[in-house]
Amino acid sequence: MNEYPLTPIDPMGLPASVEFLIFFKTLGFVLHMIPMNIWYIGVLLSTICISFGKGHFRTVGIRLISVMPILLALGINFGILPLLFTQVLFYPQYYTAGILIAVPWFSVIVLLLFAYYGVYLYAHQVKKGSITLLGYGTGWMSSVIFLIIGFMFTNNFSLMTNPTEWMNIFSRTTIAGAVSGIALNLGDPTLFPRYLLMIGIAITTTAVWIVVDARFSRVQQSTDYCKYVNKFSSTLYTIGLIWMFGSGSWYILGALSDQIFNQAMQTSWVKIIFGLAGFSAIVPWLWLIVKSNFESPSSVWVIVCLQLIVIVSNAISRQWVQIAEIERFMPLSRDPVNWQWSPLIVFLVLFISSLFVIAWMVRRIVKLPPQRTTPV
Amino acid sequence: MHYPWWYVPIINAPMLIAIVATLHVWVAFYAVGGGMILAYETSIAHRENNINYLEYLHSHTHFFVLITIVYGAITGVGIWWTIALASPLATQTLIHIFIFGWGMEYVFFLLEIVSAFIFYYYWNRLDPRTHTMIGWIYGISAWISLVIITGITAFQLNSGGWELSDGFWTALFNPQTIPQIIARTGGSLLLASLYIYLHASITLKNEPERRNHLIHRSVRWVMSGTILIVIGGILWFIYLPEQGKAALEAASALNVMAALVTAGTLLMIVMTYFGPYKNPGWVTPGFAIILFLGGLANVTTGEFIREAVRKPYIIDNLVLGHQIFKAQIPQLQQSGYLDGGVWTRHYVKSVAPEITTSGGNVDSKLFANLNSEQRITLGKTLFMYHCNNCHASERGVSSLTSLTRGWTDEMIKMSIVQMDKFHYFMPPWSGTEEEAGLLREYLSSITLPSPTHKENNSDRIQQVIK
Repeated sequence: MNEYPLTPIDPMGLPASVEFLIFFKTLGFVLHMIPMNIWYIGVLLSTICISFGKGHFRTVGIRLISVMPILLALGINFGILPLLFTQVLFYPQYYTAGILIAVPWFSVIVLLLFAYYGVYLYAHQVKKGSITLLGYGTGWMSSVIFLIIGFMFTNNFSLMTNPTEWMNIFSRTTIAGAVSGIALNLGDPTLFPRYLLMIGIAITTTAVWIVVDARFSRVQQSTDYCKYVNKFSSTLYTIGLIWMFGSGSWYILGALSDQIFNQAMQTSWVKIIFGLAGFSAIVPWLWLIVKSNFESPSSVWVIVCLQLIVIVSNAISRQWVQIAEIERFMPLSRDPVNWQWSPLIVFLVLFISSLFVIAWMVRRIVKLPPQRTTPV
Repeated sequence: MHYPWWYVPIINAPMLIAIVATLHVWVAFYAVGGGMILAYETSIAHRENNINYLEYLHSHTHFFVLITIVYGAITGVGIWWTIALASPLATQTLIHIFIFGWGMEYVFFLLEIVSAFIFYYYWNRLDPRTHTMIGWIYGISAWISLVIITGITAFQLNSGGWELSDGFWTALFNPQTIPQIIARTGGSLLLASLYIYLHASITLKNEPERRNHLIHRSVRWVMSGTILIVIGGILWFIYLPEQGKAALEAASALNVMAALVTAGTLLMIVMTYFGPYKNPGWVTPGFAIILFLGGLANVTTGEFIREAVRKPYIIDNLVLGHQIFKAQIPQLQQSGYLDGGVWTRHYVKSVAPEITTSGGNVDSKLFANLNSEQRITLGKTLFMYHCNNCHASERGVSSLTSLTRGWTDEMIKMSIVQMDKFHYFMPPWSGTEEEAGLLREYLSSITLPSPTHKENNSDRIQQVIK
């Protein structure tokens, strides 16, 4: 188990139990995944719709891009929590993997800055109704950058659990024992299926978001547009579902190690979660087809909940696999636990209080009379 | 040494932290000060039903959101990215001590984002009282996030003799926390006012009356910010650890910078008095840009000094500049620096297996078995892990080729084993005597002859005499 260069145990110990940290890491990841999935495919879809579409097809693009600045801000913020808990739990893996691919990993920040401002400029021009060549350019640029950033993330997080590849990258890029950081985890068989699986989930989540937006948007949508959206979302979800099955099968059957797979199949709750992650997307897909018009708000809430099951089950199974893969070379029980009770309690109290404050603010704006504008 | 070291030519990896942090601080201060000023001014404008003023504040909030929520948020995350890559051990240590502090900060970031968007997008739609309250939710959240992060960075400068058993709160409220909160709050108000001048001088260029009213009002923020900076600065100096005070007094670069900050602050007070306060009409875009750039320069210099006086530590009394715990030094001096790090050990095994024992350890006593090429290579490894945090090798920031120019082998060796004696802001040599020999050989191989005492110089003199 100790054949890999693994950072010694931190003298502070873990500030809370492994279970607590994993719970918050997964919760934070789910919160991050929702907006991230929508912008990941949403910006690209919006650019396609606006660049090549007319009528309602174009309207879908306009509606999508209008919320992107807010979703980006929330998604980036939600990403902080899982990143924090990743660093506490998996510091030997997270820092090592990042440093080995330091140049592309560092470039994420620069790329994100361009993509974010690109989205703002594009959304601004779309809102004004006059999109210049620069506007289209930034839309496409941001779309491509988000796809690249996703690829970088998959690289780092797959490298974290693959110490054999650490050694390969280190040997290839070393300069007198230091590393140049110019590398990617391309030798990892799980890299591409994992990346594609994330895209598949993002497609399905974006499809659900389009329905939600059409039904709950404060801007009054025409009935005709809502009908169009239902058909559009069903088609988009179908594409996402096929994509998920394709990449998921590749990942589970062709890339994931037999040892991990067998381990998963020996634990009943993991089997259930794996099953949900693999097949739960069929239910919202069927709901989209059966409920071809989402007239009642409750039918929209149903599909939101169903999609949430898809996201949560994928997040939990992903977390389980990450732990199983890491435990092959470093037991999580390695670090002692020194509970930091009082800051933990203050954090929890603040976390819950902030939800009340946010709920209060949102209630104030929900109570406002709808802003009637020309249907888009 | 516990992690692979990222070699960044010329500027060195930790310099990236300074660059990203500076780019972030320019906007982070505005995010805090601007939030408080906007909340206060909006409440006044609502109370007086000053439509004109509210209109301007709305346009400024748009600018504010674009700058702080996008640029500020991404560069803030950027610091995380960079410290994890360029200073992993210190980041690991901070995250283990302050995980829930950062968790609390995350909560306030969330409140900031939601309230900022509602404050801006629902302008003119919310009733004045609710609108003002949401503005204050932003302002207070932003200030509390400043308090938390300042506590953490202040801990890096003066941990107050903190020990593992002392816990989170003692670490957060260390001797430097209050002084730095005061100074940074002042800096935030000051810098935010300069952003307001800049924005108003451009957007209200053709509305002198409205512009002058606004600029005149903002003087109070400049003045109160300046007072807080002075108070915080004095307290900061009083509570500096001994080595920080010594560095501030002895290092000529820091002397110059401290003088520049003082002169710059005085100049800004004078400019603000004669410009925005006495003659608001002077605040043209040109004047505002000069003030703004002066403010950025002052903040940058102040932050640089704050960071520089921390040496030789990254975290006071805990983690040293060359990415090891202070407590590890005696052991490393016994068993060797190359043996102490998991990645250095792994590397030595691949390039010089003859000095690796059957248990996988690097044995300094076996260095005699190395050929000269291996000695230089391992000397360079020691340079990477022990020196490259601050020094470039042949070209670049504080390059050792330049610093050791004309030195004899003996001088180089002495400066390695006694580095903390020669310069108290450097960490102690943390390897064996034999390893110091390897590093000496590498440095001798890259050093240049003195530009003034070269052999050929004396030859030339002899020729001239003849």
